Amino acid sequence: MKRFGKADVLGPLAVALVFVGIWYLVAYRLHNNFNDNGTVNFVPPPHKLFMGTSDAWPDMLRAMWLTARTAFIGLMIAIVLGVSLAIVMAQARWLERSFWPFLVALQAIPILAIVPLLASVFRTSSTPPRLITVVLIALFPIVSNTLFGLRSVDQPHYDLFKLRRAGRFTQLVKLELPTASPAMFTGFRISAGLAVIGSIVADFFFTRGDPGLGRLIQQYFFDNQPPRMFVASILASLVGLTFFLVFGWLGRRVVGRWQPGAFGAR
Amino acid sequence: MASSEESGPVESTGSLAARPLLEFHQVSKTFKDGTAAVGDVTMSVSAGEVVSIVGPSGCGKSTLLRCAAGLETPTTGAVEADRANLGYVFQDPTLLPWRTVEGNVELLAELDGVPKAERSRLVDDALTLVGLSEARRQLPRQLSGGMRMRASLARTLVLDPAVVLFDEPFGSLDEITRERLNDEVQTVLRARRAAALFVTHSISEAVFLSHRVLVMSRAPGRIVEEVEIPFPFPRPHELRYEPEFARISGRISQALREGSR
Repeated sequence: MKRFGKADVLGPLAVALVFVGIWYLVAYRLHNNFNDNGTVNFVPPPHKLFMGTSDAWPDMLRAMWLTARTAFIGLMIAIVLGVSLAIVMAQARWLERSFWPFLVALQAIPILAIVPLLASVFRTSSTPPRLITVVLIALFPIVSNTLFGLRSVDQPHYDLFKLRRAGRFTQLVKLELPTASPAMFTGFRISAGLAVIGSIVADFFFTRGDPGLGRLIQQYFFDNQPPRMFVASILASLVGLTFFLVFGWLGRRVVGRWQPGAFGAR
Repeated sequence: MASSEESGPVESTGSLAARPLLEFHQVSKTFKDGTAAVGDVTMSVSAGEVVSIVGPSGCGKSTLLRCAAGLETPTTGAVEADRANLGYVFQDPTLLPWRTVEGNVELLAELDGVPKAERSRLVDDALTLVGLSEARRQLPRQLSGGMRMRASLARTLVLDPAVVLFDEPFGSLDEITRERLNDEVQTVLRARRAAALFVTHSISEAVFLSHRVLVMSRAPGRIVEEVEIPFPFPRPHELRYEPEFARISGRISQALREGSR
């Protein structure tokens, strides 16, 4: 089985080259971007990206770990809550109709509007409000995808289980959840990216406890250190990318075998 | 509740004179939206007997089977059947895509709570019977249409049903595969001494497999003709090209045309 074709390598490479080119262009055309001693004021060119940031690395790596940990724990909570809620909603139309408006509302309210509110409620704690933020931002895709998946069971499959008088729980475990799993993992993967965003956004507002990447970025902004902001942002995207890849891989492991085409598996 | 669940202990003597395993008493079915699917059907299937129902599309053939299996409740009349002893082969293979062939074949026994060790013996038997032992670890998507249908048949046979209900199972297969599967169904039913109620719109399939063929009118379906098929079992593949086979098929075809008017 051929895993990568020419187009899988050359295409992205071309896009990357164009991107780096624009980056250099911006870095060298920007007014006052460089000082006489070679240090960078605003946009470091790629080869000078890490220049003069080495003393901040231990802080940044620890912040990255904190951000990733908050995102991960929050995501796990969101998965447990979201899947449970979707299962409850799938039991009856009236249950679905009862919960749905609130989920849509939750999805519609910008996270940036909710977080300060949470911050004013949880003045003295640090971890719970961060986790709540992550759960709030990650919940909706999990619920909606799981619910969609649970609802996509074919009637003949239900008939099959009905013939042997299978109970509701058996039906859930042996039919509905496996049928829903491709959609569920799509939801998990979307939420994995959102969880990292939630973790960083929360970090901007909850100033107690050790700083995560969000607070470091904020601090570098106030200290006027764009190169450090760049590095911190790159670390943040690395966390997001790792989450995305891990959940893509998990999805392939679970459903890729019988659902080719899901999660880019061929 | 219009249908009764039990018909007492089933004695499988193989004789056509035995007590019916499946009986419809003046069954009719009208759906909630007012569609009259089945109108007043009385018929029965005895032990070891293969009965086919042919009829135009939408005449309520499938609804009749669903009433027999307890998937629908008749509006009037009653079905007598031992539901635990009933097999159902659906129109589509309806395999679970995440389970291997053996996992799928195992399913109904698993739902019935058959112990693991016995289950694997039943699965082996059923797979051997339909000739799928080689493909047991494959996933449904790796199989051809005919093999999927065989897996579906094996899944039904695992519980060794006394009556197998077939709901137009081979309609979407090509002619060659279909005839081969008809040959196999005949072999399998005889090996298991199982009776069958076979719904189809293929006249040659019905004639080839059955002791009796019932012709249904268009909806609301009634039985308008009953034709005894005199050929002895086992029936060879070539039977399909005999003049007598063609004559009987022609008679059923005429009854179908009259019933569809």
